[in-house]
Amino acid sequence: MLKSWKLKEIVLMSLFGVVFGIVYLVAIHFGNIWAGLIGPIAYEWMFGIWFIVSILSMAIIRKPGAAVLPETIAAIIEVMLGNAVGPRLILSGVIQGLGAEAAFAATRYRHFNLAVMMLAGAGAAVFSFVYGYFVSGYAALDPSFVLLMFTLRVLSGAIIAGIGGKYLADGLLATGALRGYAISRTKQGGAGA
Amino acid sequence: MSRLLHDMNPSVKFIIVTVSMLTMAFFFNPWTPLLFWVGILALQFTMSRINWKLWALMMLPFTLGAVGYLWTTLVFGADSGGEVIGSFAGIEVTDEQWAHAWSLTFRVMAFSTLSLLFAFTTNPVTFVMSLMQQLKVPPKIAYGTMVGYQFLPVLKDELTQIRQAQRLRGVSQDRHWWQRVAGTRRLLIPMLAGAVRKAERAAFAMEARGFTGERRKEFYRPVRVSGRDYVLAGVFLAVLAVSCAAGLIMGK
Repeated sequence: MLKSWKLKEIVLMSLFGVVFGIVYLVAIHFGNIWAGLIGPIAYEWMFGIWFIVSILSMAIIRKPGAAVLPETIAAIIEVMLGNAVGPRLILSGVIQGLGAEAAFAATRYRHFNLAVMMLAGAGAAVFSFVYGYFVSGYAALDPSFVLLMFTLRVLSGAIIAGIGGKYLADGLLATGALRGYAISRTKQGGAGA
Repeated sequence: MSRLLHDMNPSVKFIIVTVSMLTMAFFFNPWTPLLFWVGILALQFTMSRINWKLWALMMLPFTLGAVGYLWTTLVFGADSGGEVIGSFAGIEVTDEQWAHAWSLTFRVMAFSTLSLLFAFTTNPVTFVMSLMQQLKVPPKIAYGTMVGYQFLPVLKDELTQIRQAQRLRGVSQDRHWWQRVAGTRRLLIPMLAGAVRKAERAAFAMEARGFTGERRKEFYRPVRVSGRDYVLAGVFLAVLAVSCAAGLIMGK
């Protein structure tokens, strides 16, 4: 799979991972304390933030693996920075990335429009929730509460990651920095075939 | 003895930590995570030299999160039967729910202690080198990740620069969190555009110096697995096994 990848594409994904790591810290630190107080549900609405890097990279690079790899690399970098969630972050990164990848694979990597990206965001949310259900023991919670958490996370994935990722990809395309990547080769830019 | 965890092979440590966490997920009694948590603390205390003040500071948000878990599970716990042992503000708590709630709370504490053990005793660069040498992560990905890691301070400076430049041109400062969230696009686009250009330059420089991304058998700085790593892995697994077994017996 890696044969067809250029080094600059891999380094690009890695730097995206770092940028999102920083922006995430800047945007989120305000919410940490009340998140601690109101329990695990506090994180659900902002889960989509973690999936953006998958969707943005896929929108730009458009190759099989362009959703799993950046999410994995971003997770490795966060672990390198001493992220207190620890090594299991790498595992959850791979799983979230696979969720997003599944949506693009289902459309055979031919369509990169808003609907597919929202689907990818929702896919990442579903995969990460199944994993979280197991690791965080949601089985001990009331099913209707779990359903509420699930709905929030899927919405967050579709809206923050799907719409946000598309929005960022279009904004970035307009800067002209993306010449030489697959996104610039289609006529309608981000709209896809 | 006191620096054993620092010298442990990062890949072995990574696998052990992940396996322990996945195993913990099968237990819903309070004793298993509690014992495991105590065991990890003991290992960290005897086999590493770390800054415990900093450790306590990093543990703080997780302790808050654990409290959040405790009351969420008490209030929104699954209806799993068992005797009602008390009620508060109209919410009845059964002994099952009580046990589940403490189990999840201690699980959060055990997970975060384990994560901090990894974070405090692992050199990030050795970790990635070990991932490449022991777990066969492709060199392209390993070194690509390293580039990102090394660029972190540069990108942080760039964020400050972009903010200052925008302020200079009269962009008002965001006072509320919703303004800050809405304003992230203004910061993200230039940051990402800068990242694209830096990535291109770095990749070009690497290739110009002969980086092909093919797998090697020999490395400039080899990271090895020694007998000591197996012993340490055995110690971790013993702690895990004892807490699982004890939890099953005491949870009855």
